[in-house]
Amino acid sequence: MARRAVLLGIATIGALFAAPRDAPRAEEIDPTGIWNCLIYASPVIGDERVFLKLSADGSTALLHLADPGARWMPISNWHRHRKRLEFGDARTGRDFDADLSAASLGGTWRTDTAEGGWWCSRASDALLAAARGGGGTAAWLAELVPAVTASPQYPSEAIREAKEGRAVGCFSVNSNGEVVDPVVVELSDEIFREPTLLALSRSRYRGWDDDKVVRPDCRSFTFRLDAVY
Amino acid sequence: MRRTLVIGVVLCIAAQSSIAEAGDRKIPNENKDYADNRSVLGEQLKLLSAGAEAIRSGRYDDGIRLTTLGLERDGPNPFEKAAALANLCAAHAAIGQLDTAIRYCSDSLSLNDSNWRAYSNRSYAYYLKGQYSEARSDIDAAAALAPSAPQVLQIRGMLNEMSLRPRIIMEEHR
Repeated sequence: MARRAVLLGIATIGALFAAPRDAPRAEEIDPTGIWNCLIYASPVIGDERVFLKLSADGSTALLHLADPGARWMPISNWHRHRKRLEFGDARTGRDFDADLSAASLGGTWRTDTAEGGWWCSRASDALLAAARGGGGTAAWLAELVPAVTASPQYPSEAIREAKEGRAVGCFSVNSNGEVVDPVVVELSDEIFREPTLLALSRSRYRGWDDDKVVRPDCRSFTFRLDAVY
Repeated sequence: MRRTLVIGVVLCIAAQSSIAEAGDRKIPNENKDYADNRSVLGEQLKLLSAGAEAIRSGRYDDGIRLTTLGLERDGPNPFEKAAALANLCAAHAAIGQLDTAIRYCSDSLSLNDSNWRAYSNRSYAYYLKGQYSEARSDIDAAAALAPSAPQVLQIRGMLNEMSLRPRIIMEEHR
C-alpha cells in the first residue's frame, strides 16, 4: 500500500513537471538530412510541396518532385545560430528560419512583400529514390484528403473578452491517415492554442498503402466574432 | 439557479461599492479599491448607511425602505444622494424591478455622471431586459471610468457572450 502510494506520488510529480506538448524542447533537432516539406502561404501565393536537403557541409538544395525531370536545385547554405536555422532561396527571394527546439523542422519564411510558413517531416535517401523511381510516388504526391475535419471550439473566455485571432497548426500524417505530433507554429493569443491542438488531434485523412510515407501538413484557423447586437 | 447566483454576485458587489461611496465623502478616484472599503459612516447618514447595509446583506426590501427614508431625512449632499440612488438602482434590479432600477440609476447619473457603478448597474438592468445596445453603451461608459473594475469586466463579458457570434475560418494548406 505504502509502495503504491510512493509510486503514485512519483508519477504525479513527473506529470506535473512534464513539458507541455507544444513547448520548446531542451534538445535541438538535427536538421541535416532529407525532409519532405510543405511551404505554405496566403491563398493568392499558394502552397508548395518540396523536398529539402540540408547537408552536413552546410549546403542546401530543394527538389520539386512533381516537376518533370525534377532535380535538386541548390540554394543558399544553411546556418545555425542560437537554436535557430536560417537559409535563403534567391530564386523566390525567400528567407527561411526555423526554431530547432521545436518538435519538427519548420518555421517561417519572408520576402520583402510576403510571408508564410513551412513544415517538414523527415524523409530519407531510400524513400526519395523510391519516390523518384515511381514506387510510392503516388503516396508522396497525392493530395491529402481530409476524412474527418474537426473544428476548434471558440473558447468561452475569448468570447467574453471579445478576443479574435489566428492559429496555424502543423503536423505529420501517417499512412493510417492519423494526425501525428500536431504543433502550433503561429499563434496570435495563447487562448487559441488548446482548441487548435485538440481539433487537429481529432482530425483524420484518407490513408495510403505505403506505411513508410509520412507527410507534413498545416491548417490555419482564423477566429472571428461577429456582432449580432 | 445559476442565473440567480450570477445576479447575486454582480449586483451584490455593485451594492457594496455604492454603499462605501454613500458613507465616504471623498471624491471618487479611479485608482480606488473597487471592493467594499470599510469607511467610517457619519451619524447624519444613519438611515442611508442602514439602507446600504441592508442591501449589501441581501435584504432588498428593507434596504429600499431605509434608503428612501434616508433620502428624505438624512439630508445628503448631491454626491451622497447620487450614491444612494445608485444603491436603490441595484436593489430594485436585484428584485426584478428593472424599469424602476433604470430610473434610479438615471437619476443618480444626473447628479454625478462620473459614478461608474451607476452605469454598471444600469447596464446590468438593461442586460436583464434584453436591451443589449443600451447595456453596451452603459458598460462602455462604466469602463471608461473604471476599466479594471471586476463588475464592469463581468457585465461586459456577459454582454459579449450574448451579442457576439463566433466564427472560425479554416484553411487547409496542401
